[in-house]
Amino acid sequence: MEATFLLTLLITFLASFIGYELISKIPQTLHTPLMSGSNAISGITLIAAILIYPEVGESQILKIIVLIAIAFATLNIVGGFSVTGRILEMFKKND
Amino acid sequence: MIEVILLVSSVLFIFALKLFGRPSTAHRANTFAMLAMALAVFSAFNFDFSNYDPAFYITIVVSGLLGVLISKRVQMTQMPELVGLFNGFGGGASGAIAYVELSKSTLPLSDYFVAIFSMVIGVFTFSGSIIAVLKLRGKLNNVNTTIANIFSAFLPPLILLPAIWEEMEILSLEYFMLLSLIAGIIRVAVIGGADMPVVIAFLNSLSGIAAMSAGFIVNSIILIVAGALVGASGIILTLLMCAAMNRTLLDVLKGGFGGAAINNEYDKDPISTSPEDVAIQLSYAESVVIVPGYGMAVAQAQAAVKELTNTLKDKNIEVKFAIHPVAGRMPGHMNVLLAEVDIDYEDMYTLEDINSEFSSTDVVIVLGANDVVNPLARTDENSPIYGMPILDVDLAKQVIVIKRSMSPGYAGIANPLFINDNAKMLFADAKEGLENIIKSFELV
Repeated sequence: MEATFLLTLLITFLASFIGYELISKIPQTLHTPLMSGSNAISGITLIAAILIYPEVGESQILKIIVLIAIAFATLNIVGGFSVTGRILEMFKKND
Repeated sequence: MIEVILLVSSVLFIFALKLFGRPSTAHRANTFAMLAMALAVFSAFNFDFSNYDPAFYITIVVSGLLGVLISKRVQMTQMPELVGLFNGFGGGASGAIAYVELSKSTLPLSDYFVAIFSMVIGVFTFSGSIIAVLKLRGKLNNVNTTIANIFSAFLPPLILLPAIWEEMEILSLEYFMLLSLIAGIIRVAVIGGADMPVVIAFLNSLSGIAAMSAGFIVNSIILIVAGALVGASGIILTLLMCAAMNRTLLDVLKGGFGGAAINNEYDKDPISTSPEDVAIQLSYAESVVIVPGYGMAVAQAQAAVKELTNTLKDKNIEVKFAIHPVAGRMPGHMNVLLAEVDIDYEDMYTLEDINSEFSSTDVVIVLGANDVVNPLARTDENSPIYGMPILDVDLAKQVIVIKRSMSPGYAGIANPLFINDNAKMLFADAKEGLENIIKSFELV
């Protein structure tokens, strides 16, 4: 076990804890935009795809698989934020 | 420099969650999260854009445009399908990345296991979500649980197979992928439609967990943090949904609920009513509570709900909405449909907030909801829904149930509310029923 791995685990734990505390306070009314918003955030796996894309080497199959991952993740980010914005707009105008 | 950008990005993500806590500030949360995401993605390039060929940029632009197009065209009643689809994409992307990492290099042992985990969870989320979407679209009926049970029983030997059979070693990566794919399909296929809020929330959580573990493989802290946030959010919603049905997650995932012995016998006939009578009844009321359910979404009755609300409010009648946590096909589904037609979120009440008010409510309108207002959950210990928190509408002075027939809800059991002395049935589709009531008001 390297020290960095343990540090990373600690960060994971803290992030999960903060997430749990903050998200528990979100009212039922906003649960659908919360889900579409977290859809968008789970598209952050795009970062991993960007990091490994230049390293896939010669294999065309692996390159295509990474491109599929990029397409999925980008769709999630853009589509997710866009539809969440649309929903939250509907709640905003009630003020 | 990159570290500073990532730090700002992480802080923005956490602030976004904080702002999400209130409907009035939530739209700002979305802007914060978008900014955080843009910074995080930008940082991944490390200021060097020359490593990427046109195929890369074309994929990003095309799928980005497709994302915008889908999000603009989707109807609010289709949100469960959209979220389901996006869960699948997120899981699929993380699974694909883990597969590529596993097949291109020899990873250190700790990373190897994380990568296998990420691939299995990601692929499972992908296939499970596709099945969930097909179910939500009504393209797939419930599959018999026996197949799932047989598969589960054979799973341990299937997992161990590559370890004993040496010739499979080269294939084992693809083999595990295939197993996860099948597991996702079978697991979700046996779960019924009304359990979809749990399934969607659970898959949402898994897509975050898959992203988080992908973060471990590529050593990206921001990916781990964001993935963990999504995982936590999904878990919270999953547990809330399970609690609202008084069932455990394991019980929901086992599937087959409600498919068994259907008992829809009533010992007396319900009192049937007409739109005219309902209009008269409502015009004498001082307080009205509307309980929307999946039937409202199916009939696209939101606009009619808004019109009736306006009509009642013009007559100085108080109108509130009582929303059960599992009403509809995803968490918060009913709230979004009502918000879409400009109903104030201040008028939407949760189960805890409204249950004490039913006894002083003049008229309750149950609109396409069934199991969530079934009093057997309080009284009949043998009922499959016993102990489930319900909206106590039977305590109101009068109840109008707008429903097409006496057919049972998801649990497959009779609802004694329908034959209660204070209840009347208006046999109609949710939209048509409401429109007829509104028309009758004009005549009153």
